[in-house]
Amino acid sequence: MADSKKRTAHKLPEAGQWPDVLSPWVIVAGIILTTLGFLMAFFVVPPVSGATVNGAELVGDTVVSNKLLMSQKIFYFHMPVAITSFAALAFAAYYCVRFLITRELRFDTCARIAMEVALLFTVMTMITGEMWTRFEWGVWWTWDPRLTTYLILMLIVIAYIVLRNMVDDPIRRAAFASVVGVIAFIDVPICFMVTRLIPSSVHPVVTRAGGMTPEMGLCIALVGVGMMCVAFALYRARFRQVRFAERVDALKERLDD
Amino acid sequence: MSRTTDTPLKVERKHPSSFSQYKVLLTKDLLREVRTKEMLVSMGVYALLVIVVFGVALGFAAPGTDFLEVSGGLLWVMVVFTSLLGLNRSFSVEKECGCLEGLLLAPMDRGVIFLAKATSNLIFLLIVEVIAVPLFWLFFSSVALPAETAPLIALPLLVGSVGIAGVGTLLSTITTNVKGKDVMLALLFIPVVFPLLYACVAATVAVLVGGDVMAESFATPLALAALYDVVMILISWFLYDFVVS
Repeated sequence: MADSKKRTAHKLPEAGQWPDVLSPWVIVAGIILTTLGFLMAFFVVPPVSGATVNGAELVGDTVVSNKLLMSQKIFYFHMPVAITSFAALAFAAYYCVRFLITRELRFDTCARIAMEVALLFTVMTMITGEMWTRFEWGVWWTWDPRLTTYLILMLIVIAYIVLRNMVDDPIRRAAFASVVGVIAFIDVPICFMVTRLIPSSVHPVVTRAGGMTPEMGLCIALVGVGMMCVAFALYRARFRQVRFAERVDALKERLDD
Repeated sequence: MSRTTDTPLKVERKHPSSFSQYKVLLTKDLLREVRTKEMLVSMGVYALLVIVVFGVALGFAAPGTDFLEVSGGLLWVMVVFTSLLGLNRSFSVEKECGCLEGLLLAPMDRGVIFLAKATSNLIFLLIVEVIAVPLFWLFFSSVALPAETAPLIALPLLVGSVGIAGVGTLLSTITTNVKGKDVMLALLFIPVVFPLLYACVAATVAVLVGGDVMAESFATPLALAALYDVVMILISWFLYDFVVS
């Protein structure tokens, strides 16, 4: 702690830059867009025969029950949330690399907050995904490559956040956490490749066919942009809070001197 | 030799090659192990205990060939937990004696420290495997006999151990400086090593079952595991500088 105070004593951490003016509007936009998407998913987009896999592909299922049709609606939230979690993770990895290059604690704070937002969206993806898997494949969990990779990704994000709480010295914590962030960023694609390329008997056979209708695409886009807005606003709000706290600490330190 | 006696020590200090530094560090670890036998004994006993626990778990299973498909995974459970134990100890010893600080004060490339430590971890892990895998066979050959291709098990074990030692050395360096380091190492190590584990278990099962499975899924998993080793060891080597200084 003492080290960080020494560093920041001569230069106060800045807070409340221009994106903070935008973020209230962005979160309003996010709320409106996701609500519109929610309404659209239920009232405008026609029911789909069969249901979708985790991504954008459709399952060419001929047997269609009412339950299956309704469970497919969760796709309009599951996929945008998953994409938003990937975006947050990409930002986190970017800031980890920035920190390792520049050694400025500011980027470490950015990486940490992006990781926190990523954890929120990752858990949301997991919950919506599990609910969907339950109705789609009849089980709560299968060791499908996507699910496995996503579970590993969630575990690494959790490990990153737990690791941060276990180190006291801020500079050391930042270095360790950034290294773990970079390793995770490389590990996760390898994990996806490995689980996909190695044949496994547990893997459910899913035939994929068809694409998205324009209405579905529009609905996904609405919710996707909305979720991105929400993630951005959350990120800025948390960033503002953390930076103000750092600024107060630095000011107190200055007063003591 | 004559040159070093002619010129003063200064010349020798200026050009210790990375390789000689590496050898010195590795010898130090091995010598320490030969004298204390601390790591090998604890890892070996732990592996034996894991086998005993498997014995309880499998005591109620009917003998059959299905066991072979499970045993590849069980073998890797043993390897992963044993290596976790070893990795946890490998740096705590250095820290207790203040050896790591001394190493960091010496003007040498951090990558050399990483490579030396990873090699010593690899050697300990391989020695324990050489003891524990035949024991595993001894205790469980009554349940199901492996196929003739079983000796090839050395390949996935070697490739897997290299990856475990490489990534594990980096992660255990991080966790020695952390509160609750035992839990933290497991929490970081198992998700990061997951792809390697997945590939190695697939290759091991292929070797044990033999026949069609061997032809179908041995080469690909092994190649993927080797790819993981190369990528992860390079990145760990590169990032090591950030972790120790």
